[in-house]
Amino acid sequence: MNIIETSSLEKIFQAESVETIALRNINFNVKEGDFVAVMGPSGCGKTTLLNILGMIDDWNTGSYFLLGQDVAKLKEKQRTILRKKNIGFVFQNFNLIEELTVYENVELPLQYLGWKKKARQERVSALLEKMQIAHRSNMFPLQLSGGQQQRVAVARAVVANPPLILADEPTGNLDSMHGEEVMNLLDALNKEGTTIIMVTHSQRDAAFSRRVVHLFDGQIINENLNKLD
Amino acid sequence: MTGNYFKVGIRVLVRQKGYTLLNVAGLMLGIAVFVFIYLFIESEIRYDRFWSDNEKIYRITNEYSLEGNSEKIALTPFRLASDLRNEFQGVEEATNLFFTDPADENDVSTITWNGEVFEIPDISLADGSFFRIFDYHFLEGNRDSALLKPNSIVINSTTAKKIFGDKPAIGNKLRTNLREYLVTGVIDMRQKPSHLNFDAIVSVSSINEKELKNLEHDYFWMTCYTYVKLADTVNPDDFEYRFNEFERVGEAAFIQEEELNMVGSMQYFIESVSLVHFNSGLMYDSPTNVDVGALYVFAVIALFILLTASINYINLATARSLKRSREIGMRKVLGALPRQLAFQYIVESLIITLIAFVLALALVEWLMPQFNQLVDKNLSLLDSLVSWEIFPFGIVLLALLSILSVIGGSFPAFVLNSFKPAHVLKGTSFSSGKFGKQQFTAGIMRHFLVIIQYMVSIGMIMATIIVYSQINFLKNHELGFDAENVYVINVPRDTNFRQHINQSMDLLANHGSILEVTSTQNVPGYTEGKMLFQVGDTNAIPVQTINYFGVGYGFFRLLNIPLISGRYFNDFPGDDTATGFILNEAAVEFLGLDTVVGVPFNYAGKKGGKIVGVVRNFNSSSLHREVDPMVFLLTPHVSRYIMVKAAPGRLEEAELHISDTWKKVTSGGTLHMISLQSKIGSLYSGDKKMLNLFFYFSLFVVFISSLGLYGLSSFLIQQRTREIGIRRVLGGSEKQLITMLALGYLKLVFLSGLIATPIVYFLMNKWLEGFAYHISIHIGYFIVSILLALLVALFTVLVRSVKVVNENPSVALKVQ
Repeated sequence: MNIIETSSLEKIFQAESVETIALRNINFNVKEGDFVAVMGPSGCGKTTLLNILGMIDDWNTGSYFLLGQDVAKLKEKQRTILRKKNIGFVFQNFNLIEELTVYENVELPLQYLGWKKKARQERVSALLEKMQIAHRSNMFPLQLSGGQQQRVAVARAVVANPPLILADEPTGNLDSMHGEEVMNLLDALNKEGTTIIMVTHSQRDAAFSRRVVHLFDGQIINENLNKLD
Repeated sequence: MTGNYFKVGIRVLVRQKGYTLLNVAGLMLGIAVFVFIYLFIESEIRYDRFWSDNEKIYRITNEYSLEGNSEKIALTPFRLASDLRNEFQGVEEATNLFFTDPADENDVSTITWNGEVFEIPDISLADGSFFRIFDYHFLEGNRDSALLKPNSIVINSTTAKKIFGDKPAIGNKLRTNLREYLVTGVIDMRQKPSHLNFDAIVSVSSINEKELKNLEHDYFWMTCYTYVKLADTVNPDDFEYRFNEFERVGEAAFIQEEELNMVGSMQYFIESVSLVHFNSGLMYDSPTNVDVGALYVFAVIALFILLTASINYINLATARSLKRSREIGMRKVLGALPRQLAFQYIVESLIITLIAFVLALALVEWLMPQFNQLVDKNLSLLDSLVSWEIFPFGIVLLALLSILSVIGGSFPAFVLNSFKPAHVLKGTSFSSGKFGKQQFTAGIMRHFLVIIQYMVSIGMIMATIIVYSQINFLKNHELGFDAENVYVINVPRDTNFRQHINQSMDLLANHGSILEVTSTQNVPGYTEGKMLFQVGDTNAIPVQTINYFGVGYGFFRLLNIPLISGRYFNDFPGDDTATGFILNEAAVEFLGLDTVVGVPFNYAGKKGGKIVGVVRNFNSSSLHREVDPMVFLLTPHVSRYIMVKAAPGRLEEAELHISDTWKKVTSGGTLHMISLQSKIGSLYSGDKKMLNLFFYFSLFVVFISSLGLYGLSSFLIQQRTREIGIRRVLGGSEKQLITMLALGYLKLVFLSGLIATPIVYFLMNKWLEGFAYHISIHIGYFIVSILLALLVALFTVLVRSVKVVNENPSVALKVQ
């Protein structure tokens, strides 16, 4: 079953008198449990595509179905609800909230989902344990290394057990050792059944995926399967 | 979740100490000023609200018009109360309280008890109904019977304490120079602010029968304040109409009987007792009454200062939204709903406001003695907090706290909620696309708010300068008489002293430091009276009401008031008394006289008098008023004051001599003396109070605005560190860069000044119209104010821009 289906998706950036076509004619389907890497040169529209898929940006024409729901027909509030229940995000620059501790950062999605305190406690503690950052749970993001911060970000992305993770250059700010750690984490999640779409520049990271989609000037120029199960 | 909001809010504020400090300081000052003004206004509103039958009690005032000369006065004839009581259904009670000169606090009566002499400032007269209308708490005695019998006296608790200490007062006999009174009651007037001010009241029935008869007969002898308590069924407007009609019949009969030639009208008005305090347009009214317009001005200032402080918060928060946009974007991605984000901001705003509140209340409590001195009041923050009389202050504070928190939080929330997470999470340029537009709009809003702040600040500076100039003008304005080195001594209301007043004056004059001594009934700067006069020896010419000034021999010489024609009063006792009149130029003009000296002139209904001289106009009252037409009478027998002119440079000697002589001539009595200059100065005490308040309010508002501008410019300039680094690398000089940074803010301040100018011009012109003599508003006032504000703003902006511009470009370029 396709978790994501887009058809003739187009995105245009309008700045004053200049019009830039960021994405054109994107027909992009992702099956449940897939691990897709989106690659391409800077400015080719990778992140824009990911943002649209995550419903944190709009598109201009074409259609987008997420988990069978026509996103175009959803109101902002419905999109927020759909997003918080089904999508986890991982960013290159982690985007952890500096005022919150490691524990609180990971707990936040559950709070927005309305989980009870005790359930949150159990889930977050177990996850931090699993991610091997439980001993840092009372620290603030700025007290952690980049690798540790990205671990927290991954933990936050998966805490609510979303079926889909969108990762935007998750190792872009990490050295190779920490980068590999994060990729191993994503790989393990995928093996547990989570669908992952990852934007990356790195061939090494892309090698973890099953399918690689190449974007160039806003268009998908080719797709190839990376590895078989 | 709410606990989480607080936790995060506190962390945000602790992490951004400087920002928090600026916000708290500004809000604290704003709230403190608001609380001060609130307490001040509340203390005025509390006047006369505590009577049980408050809404049924009315005061009667009147407006008469004679020969085109009309006047509104608080006094009414004595007989009015009995008319009301006897002739109208629905009048539950009516009473009158005799006028005592409220403007002269040195005018005291002496009371003797047990051989000891006590000075009591205000002893009035009222009838038995008085305490049935005004239900003071009786500490001793009974309200129904206290003023029924002749020679009864009811004293207030302060007077009772002064005379009797802690012993019971009731049943004791107090002696005045006229007669002996039996204390029939002690009342508690504390905590009961009222336009009624007296230390003791004696029963009207104590007045001798002949005088009482005269009082009851006369329709135009304005001696009393009249109060009436109406039944619920009575419509006040209808009642006012009916009793005016009734009085008119009586007045006509009286005019005919007295053979008066009166062309004019008299109209009575009734006003609710709780509004009396706000009626400042009547003659002979309570000096504690306030101009309701001034209260509105203060209320508006309070709100503006609060607005200025709130703007600081809003501006800083929206400016910082750039810095927080990533966090907010992430929260949105994680599923936060707009209301949850708004709540987060409101909680942060609430924490800041709450801290500011606590500090503001502490500041108010700390500065209360100084503020009380400034406004001449006895306000207490704690009393107001627990008082439920008008409107619970605690609830006002809670409401204010909520409003400030919501306003302070929802503006930034509104700006931040409009961010698209996709734009802020991945380094999209802040200045491009839709996000750039949002920031641009937020920037315009910040500019708009800064302009409002500076409009208020510059407006306050302008107003302060104008008030200062006007008061300076009043101080230096030629009054038409020489008040320098003149002392005014209150003559004891003791007939014995008056009998020997001439000998006392001789003793006072008998010293090298004293140039001149005279006795007089009226003194410039004190309350004046009005009387009915008639030009001519017959009543063919209608009577006129004109201000009169009872003076003694030597009055004009002592004050150096020049004679225009005729002569001063003769120095022969009895010669000019009751028959010789001196007019001022304004009176001559008012009466339209061509020849003046020798023209027959009399009290209404009397004969045999004439005008003996004309003196130059002088300002006997404050410069709020034009010089009134004035008739001077010779009244050495009823002198209330002795005026002493001391030799220049020998004032200390003179004061010592006066004090020594006074002890001798009054057998140790207290000397109540004031310099005429300070008495004249006190006529402007209200204006000076206003100047002081304006001055301090301006300081506050300028300081709060500067705090805001400092915070805002610091933040926004810091945001431009990288840009400034690039400009420096490209060859921009420090001076050029600082000018570039400062100019934007100075333009806003200048614009604020331009907008404030016409508004202040209009409002201050209105204020100046309240003075018969005033400055004309000069463009210089506005220029100076704007320059002053520009200077403060420049300094404020420079602090941070110099630092940023001087940063090493290599460091600056690394800033993201």
